[in-house]
Amino acid sequence: MNAVIVSNLIKKYKNFEAVKGLSFNIKEGEIFALVGPNGVGKSTTLKILSTILSPTGGSVEIFGLDVNKDSKKIRKIISYLPEEAGAYKNLTGHEYLKFMASIFFRDKRRVLKTVKYGEELCGLKDKLKDKVKTYSKGMTRKLLLSRAVMINPRFAILDEPTSGLDILNSFEIRKTIKQLAKDGMTVLLSSHNMLEIEFLSDRMGIMNDGKLLACGAPSELKNKFSTDNLEEVFIKLTR
Amino acid sequence: MRIFFILLKKEIKEMLTIQLIVSLAAMLFIFHMIGSVVGKQTKASAARNNVVVLDFDKSELSKRIIKGLADGKYMVKDASAGDLADALSNHEYEDESFFMVIGKGLERNFKLEKKHTIEVYARFSKSLSGYSSSFSAAKIRKAIGRINKDLGVYALEKKFPSADVEFMKKPVLIEEFVVIGNARARVSVKKVLAFVRSQTYFFPIAVFFLVFMAAQMIMTAIAGEKENKTLETLLSSPIDRKALIMSKLSAAAIIAVLLSGGYMLGMRSFMSGIMGQAVLGSALFTQDAFIQLGLVISAAGYLMIGISVLFCILCALAIALILGVLSEDVKSVGVMITPLMMLIMISYLLPMFIDIGDASFVIKLLLYAIPFTHAFIAPQNILVQNYSAVMWGIVYQAVVFGVFVAIAGKIFSGEALLTFKLRFGKSK
Repeated sequence: MNAVIVSNLIKKYKNFEAVKGLSFNIKEGEIFALVGPNGVGKSTTLKILSTILSPTGGSVEIFGLDVNKDSKKIRKIISYLPEEAGAYKNLTGHEYLKFMASIFFRDKRRVLKTVKYGEELCGLKDKLKDKVKTYSKGMTRKLLLSRAVMINPRFAILDEPTSGLDILNSFEIRKTIKQLAKDGMTVLLSSHNMLEIEFLSDRMGIMNDGKLLACGAPSELKNKFSTDNLEEVFIKLTR
Repeated sequence: MRIFFILLKKEIKEMLTIQLIVSLAAMLFIFHMIGSVVGKQTKASAARNNVVVLDFDKSELSKRIIKGLADGKYMVKDASAGDLADALSNHEYEDESFFMVIGKGLERNFKLEKKHTIEVYARFSKSLSGYSSSFSAAKIRKAIGRINKDLGVYALEKKFPSADVEFMKKPVLIEEFVVIGNARARVSVKKVLAFVRSQTYFFPIAVFFLVFMAAQMIMTAIAGEKENKTLETLLSSPIDRKALIMSKLSAAAIIAVLLSGGYMLGMRSFMSGIMGQAVLGSALFTQDAFIQLGLVISAAGYLMIGISVLFCILCALAIALILGVLSEDVKSVGVMITPLMMLIMISYLLPMFIDIGDASFVIKLLLYAIPFTHAFIAPQNILVQNYSAVMWGIVYQAVVFGVFVAIAGKIFSGEALLTFKLRFGKSK
């Protein structure tokens, strides 16, 4: 079953067309990666799927809900992690997780359970009692990823989840994403790291100039373009 | 409502930082300290009522002048043994700032009805700043007034020995009345103005700080959320956009009220340190007259002023909310707040120096069009029982607030919140 159906998606900002007729599907429980050079419309696409930008043309359906008509319903089942996002600096890590959980759930026990899960996921332990402004970039990113997935969304949209992180932190975050997808979460992510894409994604879409140039499983794309790695596929397509 | 309180709690935690509390406490301390030091210094300067007199006439008239000074609570020091240069350089008088030279021929010229000059010297010993110099000037004016008065009485006594000198000094009595609306009371205009100023002195300052701080806080909060991309996270969550707007407005208003209360306390401490209870004291003497004139703010009056201030803050917050959306990051808030600041400054400063009622149509229109003006002038209107002006002002403020909240709501419900931006310089 398709969790996400993107059909001929167009997004224009005044005179600039960021997305030019993009189409792809994501199956339920799949990790789908959007890759492409900077400024080709990946983040714009992710923001449209997150319901914070409206499409100029085309359609997007998430679990049968339309992003234009059913944005309020969609927001209850998705979670979005923006690229290089921060958290509220004067809240502690624990307060931040509790604040975000309280937005999604009314029941106090459910909130506490969610926060507990978020705390386990991020692994920040005692550091969660400190204010976010004292965190390193890696710690903040772990906190944010935990925030994004602790509510157990049906669809997680992660814009460059390991951007700017060291090897250890990146590895831990990838492991978490992989496990969450195994548990049934549908994931859309963007990344510049081809090794990460190969490790994480079930399927990927390569974008350039607002369009999708190729789509398929990493192994399929490597076979199709007769290369040993995804980087060469990417270079062949985007040059 | 639940989400509103969750967001409000978060906003207050984000806005009310330790740095803000410490800076407020420091401000209160500094205000109090400066007020206390200046007050003590002022008292000390005022207490030094000394005059060094060099009497070279040694006549009955010059002695009468010196006695008049002594009766006027001046501590007269006689330095007639030497000349002025000796007196100025004399260690005994090194702390003195006021010297008077009565030259030879005072009495002779007086008898001949010729004008005679008495020289007075005010010495700036250490610096030209502060209160000492202004007190010297005030003392000179007072002393000259006393000398002329004494000489006038002396002249009358000599010329008309049988005349009623007291009557001749003041043949006409003047009684001042002030009329406000239908009320009339015997009181000097000067006292009424001093009373009105004492009642409204702190108010515009506090409102100014309140509006400015609230606007700055909300703009920084919005710009910070945009910069950190926490806003994107919130907008993609099931939060009601109206609750998001209202929580930010409420948090900024609550903190602004707390901070302005602090500023007001500090300012009061500062001013009372400088002025003591002088203004209040003079007002007490004429309290009956003020009651007669209706110059008393009733509970309803205070309520109306409060509502006007509340809407003034809300208008500023609604405008600031939109300006915050236009700010690309926290750094650009300083520039983006300028249009709002200009409006606040105009509505704060102009009514302090001009009478809006007598202003030209354009100025009147400009001032009344700015919603903040109505709050700044509310106490004066209430004091003269012009309740309808305050009421219409509140109605106008409420309309302006509604319009700007509607605009903000429109922005927050769409993607403009993320795509609106004005760039200044080369910020990232």
